Amino acid sequence: MAKSDQSRRKFIGTLILSLAGLFSLGKFLSPRVPQQKILLSVAKAELPLDGALVYREARVALMREGDAVYALSLVCTHLGCTINVTPTELVCPCHGSSFDRRGVVLKGPADRQLPRYQVVQRGEFFEVVV
Amino acid sequence: MVNEFLGHLFPRVVLRRNLAFSYTFCLGGLAFTAFLILAATGMLLLFYYQASPEKAFNSILFLEASVWGGRYLRSLHRLSSHFMLVLLMLHTLRVILTGAYQKPRELNWVLGCGLLLLCVFEAYTGYLLPMDQLALWATQTGMELLTIFPLGSYLRAILVPDGVGQPMSLLRFYVLHIMLVPLSVLLLSFLHFYRIRKNKGVLPYL
Repeated sequence: MAKSDQSRRKFIGTLILSLAGLFSLGKFLSPRVPQQKILLSVAKAELPLDGALVYREARVALMREGDAVYALSLVCTHLGCTINVTPTELVCPCHGSSFDRRGVVLKGPADRQLPRYQVVQRGEFFEVVV
Repeated sequence: MVNEFLGHLFPRVVLRRNLAFSYTFCLGGLAFTAFLILAATGMLLLFYYQASPEKAFNSILFLEASVWGGRYLRSLHRLSSHFMLVLLMLHTLRVILTGAYQKPRELNWVLGCGLLLLCVFEAYTGYLLPMDQLALWATQTGMELLTIFPLGSYLRAILVPDGVGQPMSLLRFYVLHIMLVPLSVLLLSFLHFYRIRKNKGVLPYL
């Protein structure tokens, strides 16, 4: 019995060491990715006053309300479908969630408002950064 | 199985007087340990290094700034390389002072000299890879020194076909550093150890 105890201790030791090694390796191989990605870049003149530009491919809508310009994610906070933008509200085709133009939930099943992306003004362009 | 394999590395017969620690100071074994550390850390550094003149330095900065343990691994790699060269010089000195180069071990002396030269060359090729100012000018002066030797300019043309720090040269140094030279060092080391065993020399690691 003494012998088998010895080998169990060895086994557990090896296991802990290899798990720690694997963990460190995983951490080493997943670097912080610091850069901000420019999702899209739109000429200022293209965005009408109190209007919206919809980019279904990038799943972003660029909105303007007077002076305020903001970018709404068009990923439904319920199950991730791409939301349709209508003149009055934003409606998800999958389960009928609807949001107002600011991204606040009007009707479920979605329960969180749409996240906003940062909009940077650079020269004659609006840039949406992630 | 592992133990049996390790057992086969031990010589069948060993001369008792060779076993004293003060005979070898484990210098060769320590140098080979440094080599193993270099291989392990180097393999991890490969995940982040980009061998092109524009990207090399930035990839090092990225490794040091944004990768967990990146700076530690790179420092370990660099320090181990310094240690390895120092240990090799001490090992060579020991072999000279104890007269271990004499018959019947003269072949191992030649192998050892080859290993020493290869390791210095390995360190030299690694020196360029970060592509900072130190790396660039150290390699530049090294290459100028090389042209003094006979056939030096010919060798230089092979090592740096488009000038120090240009894409093709960096790639060649990179390939030499991570593939050709380390493999040669490993192969020669095994021959070196085999000769020790044949000459009823010391146990592994002494």
